[in-house]
Amino acid sequence: MLDMLRQYVSGYVALTNEEFTFLAEKLVVRSFDKRQQLVRVGDVEQFMNFVVKGLVRMYFLKGRTQVITNIAKEGELISSSASFLSGAPSCYFIETLEPTMMLSITKEDLEGLYQRSFAIERVGRLITTQFVLQKEEWELECMRLDARERFLRFVENNPDLMQRVPQKYLASYLNMKPETFSRLKHLLRKRPGVIKSFQT
Amino acid sequence: MTRSNNFHKTALDRLHHYLSAYAPLTKQEFGLLLPYIEIREFDKKVKVIREGETERYLNIVARGLARKYLPLRTGGEVTIQLATEGHIIHSELSFHNRVPSGSVVETIEPTIFFSISYDSLEELYKKIPKFERMGRLLISQLFVKKDRRYFDQLNKSTRERFLDYVNKHPQMMQRVPQKYLASFLNIKPETFSRLKHLIKGKGKLTG
Repeated sequence: MLDMLRQYVSGYVALTNEEFTFLAEKLVVRSFDKRQQLVRVGDVEQFMNFVVKGLVRMYFLKGRTQVITNIAKEGELISSSASFLSGAPSCYFIETLEPTMMLSITKEDLEGLYQRSFAIERVGRLITTQFVLQKEEWELECMRLDARERFLRFVENNPDLMQRVPQKYLASYLNMKPETFSRLKHLLRKRPGVIKSFQT
Repeated sequence: MTRSNNFHKTALDRLHHYLSAYAPLTKQEFGLLLPYIEIREFDKKVKVIREGETERYLNIVARGLARKYLPLRTGGEVTIQLATEGHIIHSELSFHNRVPSGSVVETIEPTIFFSISYDSLEELYKKIPKFERMGRLLISQLFVKKDRRYFDQLNKSTRERFLDYVNKHPQMMQRVPQKYLASFLNIKPETFSRLKHLIKGKGKLTG
């Protein structure tokens, strides 16, 4: 569990054993059943979470429609980040899709670690930069790519999620109508590479 | 001292003040940062970074106004950012990932940037760990703003987006060509023109 996180963090900064221990000491393990809400709109996000096992989605309500803005699986971070960083109420819900286990750290503990270690602060800076870049990339892709291209790109990058996430959520995440999503699934039959990775 | 030098001095004071909001910097610490800052001046309508170039700089607007836009394959373009004094603007995906830029940064008014190159920034972080905090907090704020904009685009009606923006940034109506504002707010130019009637008589713009 900790190895997984260590590997993730080392993608940003190689922490010494001592530094990683500082971090590890502050982590709490949290387990949730499926369909449990971790954060509701209006809550202030208390945690930054690293998914060890399971699957989580983030969404908001537009009228009665749920709009999915993020899906996180093993090895990824999930939090209502803007709320976590700013202390303002969350605009989003966070809910598990599968039974989920995560390593979590509170804002207070994280701030404490930043005071204690420049290397950990650097990890914080780089991960936050990554958040910004992901948002930018997503925004540009939505403008640059049409529905078909967004679909194919997603499937190639996340073949496993096609099995794990209800179709209506995926369609919402990719910003397309469920009918469009269903129609686009035909494309997969012509792409043996993609289908093969489904079966593994 | 020439007028331009005077401007630079005042502007640098303002930069010091601006950065100190994120992490208090002594005069000495700010002095360490200075050699890394380039002051770059551009006329209006100049492309500061073009599609296909790799972004070398992170820019803070000292004076003026610039926009970032995405050229579309189908022709046309989408304005994705408008930056005035104190805002950071650059092609960030290109800057951080060291890949060719997909977007363009162009000045709208004559503009002065405080710019720091990628290499300088990396060197600074290595040399002076204290700047990690400033960098982290600046980036955090950038994320929060980006998330807000993203959320508003998805969640608010055209009319709400228009009114919120105009109320928050009344001066932009004067400074930014309407077609860029419309594009930034993801509103059709015709709709934008029509919505302008909403602000008449509210007095928010005349003040």
